[in-house]
Amino acid sequence: MTQNPTDKPVTCTSGIELKPFYTAADIPEQHRPHVNVAPGEAPYHRGFHPSGYRSKPWRIFQLSGFGKPEDENERIKFLLKNGETGFIMEHDRNTADHCYNVNHPDVVARREDVGLSGAVMQSVRDTAICMDGLPVDTSFGHAGGAVVQHAPFALAAYWTVAKQRGFDLSTISGTGQSDFNLTYLGCVTKEQIPTQAGLRFNADIMEFCHQHLPRWVPVSIAGYNAADTGLTPDQELGVLFANAVEYLDEIQRRGNMSLVEAARGCGGVSFRASIHIIEEACKMRAARLMWNQLLRERYNITDPKVGNLRIHCVTAGSKMTYQQPLNNIVRGTVMALGAILGGVQSLGVSGYDEALSIPSEHAHQMSLRIQQILQEETGIADVTDPLGGSFYVETLTAQLIEKAWAFFDAIQQQGGYLATLDSGWLHAQAGENQYQEFMKTESGEQKVIGVNCFKDDESPFNVDGFMGTDDAFDVATERLNDVLRTRHEHGAARALKQLEADCRTDKNIMPAMMDALAAEVTLGEIGDVYRDVFGNWNTPIQT
Amino acid sequence: MDNAQKRILMAKTGLDGHWRGPTIVARALRDAGFEVIMIGMAKTDDIVRSAIDEDVDLVGLNVGGHIDVAIRAIENVQKARPDLPIFAGGTIPPYAAKQLEALGVEVYPPGSQLTDIVDAAERLTGRT
Amino acid sequence: MAGERPCLARLLSLIERQPQVEADVRQALASHAPQAVVIGVTGPPGAGKSTLISALLSLSTASFGKTAVLAVDPSSPFSGGALLGDRVRMQNHGLGDAVFIRSMASKGENGGLARTTATAIQVLDACGWPLILLETLGIGQVELDVMDLATVVTVVLNPGWGDTFQANKAGLTEAGDIFVINKADKPGAEQTRADLQDSLSLLQSPVPIDIFETVAVTKEGLETLWLGIEAYLKTASEIGLIVKKLASRRQRLLLRTIQRDIEARLQAYWASDRGRAQVQRVLAGDRTLEALQADFFIQLHPQPHSERSS
Repeated sequence: MTQNPTDKPVTCTSGIELKPFYTAADIPEQHRPHVNVAPGEAPYHRGFHPSGYRSKPWRIFQLSGFGKPEDENERIKFLLKNGETGFIMEHDRNTADHCYNVNHPDVVARREDVGLSGAVMQSVRDTAICMDGLPVDTSFGHAGGAVVQHAPFALAAYWTVAKQRGFDLSTISGTGQSDFNLTYLGCVTKEQIPTQAGLRFNADIMEFCHQHLPRWVPVSIAGYNAADTGLTPDQELGVLFANAVEYLDEIQRRGNMSLVEAARGCGGVSFRASIHIIEEACKMRAARLMWNQLLRERYNITDPKVGNLRIHCVTAGSKMTYQQPLNNIVRGTVMALGAILGGVQSLGVSGYDEALSIPSEHAHQMSLRIQQILQEETGIADVTDPLGGSFYVETLTAQLIEKAWAFFDAIQQQGGYLATLDSGWLHAQAGENQYQEFMKTESGEQKVIGVNCFKDDESPFNVDGFMGTDDAFDVATERLNDVLRTRHEHGAARALKQLEADCRTDKNIMPAMMDALAAEVTLGEIGDVYRDVFGNWNTPIQT
Repeated sequence: MDNAQKRILMAKTGLDGHWRGPTIVARALRDAGFEVIMIGMAKTDDIVRSAIDEDVDLVGLNVGGHIDVAIRAIENVQKARPDLPIFAGGTIPPYAAKQLEALGVEVYPPGSQLTDIVDAAERLTGRT
Repeated sequence: MAGERPCLARLLSLIERQPQVEADVRQALASHAPQAVVIGVTGPPGAGKSTLISALLSLSTASFGKTAVLAVDPSSPFSGGALLGDRVRMQNHGLGDAVFIRSMASKGENGGLARTTATAIQVLDACGWPLILLETLGIGQVELDVMDLATVVTVVLNPGWGDTFQANKAGLTEAGDIFVINKADKPGAEQTRADLQDSLSLLQSPVPIDIFETVAVTKEGLETLWLGIEAYLKTASEIGLIVKKLASRRQRLLLRTIQRDIEARLQAYWASDRGRAQVQRVLAGDRTLEALQADFFIQLHPQPHSERSS
């Protein structure tokens, strides 16, 4: 931005024009009364706890997974030893995303990719290996159900293993995800259940957790994939709350569970933390205010405990460059700082080799160190909402809120979040933004160091890209055959039949899912039932 | 409009559904006058069959994950149509890029200029 | 004709790129009686044509042994390029070499087809493909060339269609032999069926026109539709309708070919020195339109040993 002449408008990512400097007079009138409140006071943009990170530092929470379940188990233990305070069990995407077993032709055709991005877990036996010795009761585990159609399986597998290990489900804490933005918007799978069926799954999970796992966060609405697909920060906010409305309205429609409880269950969300760090910090502040406003105005919920929005954040993977990967350590650090200034509750930093492959052990460690240095050495955790009161930050926060609600309204006018996924409208918005951003980089208008400028750099060492292990497919194939051969076939068949029957009615599928996992039904068999019962989502775009 | 009848097959070798990158490239190629046939996430057999049936002038592969998956597709396409040029983009670490280049495939990793990709398409299809 | 697949694919390309090759092929196939069944699938964008075709492939291939798909997409009027994208949905057929999928760009033609689609169909037919699914965009009367090429035209609509395409309704209802209301799980399917039945009752069709409801993404209604298509083919062939249609199709192709030739020659004449001079004289009031026409016709077929005064 050094060559920018002062008469050319400067905008942030959301398209809001930025002034060269701000004064108190810039803060929009409706926001001024909010400026001088304390964290823990309405409207909560400053956070929910006055003591902030002093009493509870943000959780260091890194995505981790590859290879065989035992490899992932080892990597998780490595991260816990090195200071991670929660763990994420990532499932192999070739099998999980589509609910295929490894012997599906589309997976076999890509057997070397199996195990690259997560461990293959086709049955409860695999999950047991992956969870071996993990501190289920004292750590915060993400069971890996990022994909909507996969989540019931992933959660049931985790809980079944926990039960088998003697843990009381009503006491364990952790989270699911079930992220619509992942496979319906950003990373559209070849086939998956339609969005309505997905909504049914998520509501079933919410109701099941309410009954049996009160400390578990059933779903986590994620803005990350919306943002990394191209939606701007204001749009990311609007989409996230439109997504929340679908869940809450569905729970309300069913009438099986109080809306207050559902809202509490929806209060764990995730956002992307990108590189315009002040804007990103404002986004987190805006989110807290918007959540409370939504609960109050639309659902008449004013309990501040329910309005406590817990934010998990992941730094923007798409900002990590292929060229000069070590620069990405700086990018990761800076984006993490933005998230922390925004007061998030947990944080994952992308590996510096993100554009090349899944993180190597060193890149993973680097991500931990970035967080630890920020947490322990910088003093950033000593004061809650340190940017609060800044003329710029308060103005931008208020402006983001306004723009975000406008996007939210646009979605509602079209019938809601699922409707805009089905029609491809969201994809069109994201695609258009991506195109504009791409053109700016292409033309050099937006400088990206090492990519379109300062390209000659001597790296002190080669960053080559980590390719996981190479026996994941073979071992998974063996284990699949083992399960099919040695399980109690009669029980498995019966459990699968029950699951199918429940899918066809509007019964909650989770009890049957738990039974199916315990009976060692495999992922692909469950996927086949889904395809038979629900059919395939009509994707609005080419993939 | 010399490109008007040059046909490019675009396919993804992995099972990864990210669509933004390939879409931007496909549109740029269309805007340069190419007929772009997109078959999405495709197995080797399907890529080879389409390369033959559509009688394309160039194959563009979006590659991610383990390079052997892409190599398998490339070798089979080359066997079926030895003169057909292939170029590839996507998440390809440097050592993997070298392997593809050794097979005669031009590689365009993240950060590549769109104009370079379009120029390459024109050059590889005999336009310039 | 030898059916080697890559040669077939290459021939289809040459037909598109070299008018002389197309002419030669048409010549060579002039006496070849068409045998392939051509099922035209047309309808407005977003109706689900590709998904429907994709879902029909296993049924059609079971019946006919193999299926060729010709999918026509519009070219960009700005660049001449095209995104031939709906192939993605068709790739999951799992039928291997029993399916041949070929994409064509319309290259500015207004009828929903490429100029060489007719010849492409002839070639596929002659190479032994017994069934050809022809997919085109059909919005209104301008896009209905598919009528001329198809043994049976399937029009694919969605619930609520009647509301948005008022002006074009006549075109599509006249074109279809079979109608499909796809995405029939969406509201308004019954009303659309009723609207359609009203419109269709005004036509005089020797064969009853059936309306089917499908949900292509779950394959609901597909088997019934396929049986309906087969029933249509049987009935229509029994009353000689197909033969009549094929014959009239060949005639129309012939007419179209001659029209194109004349058009091309007219353009050449118009651009020539002689033609330009004649036109200027007509514009200056120095010569009649009839005389200009006569001059053009002479250029088309110059009489040897004849010198007409100009």
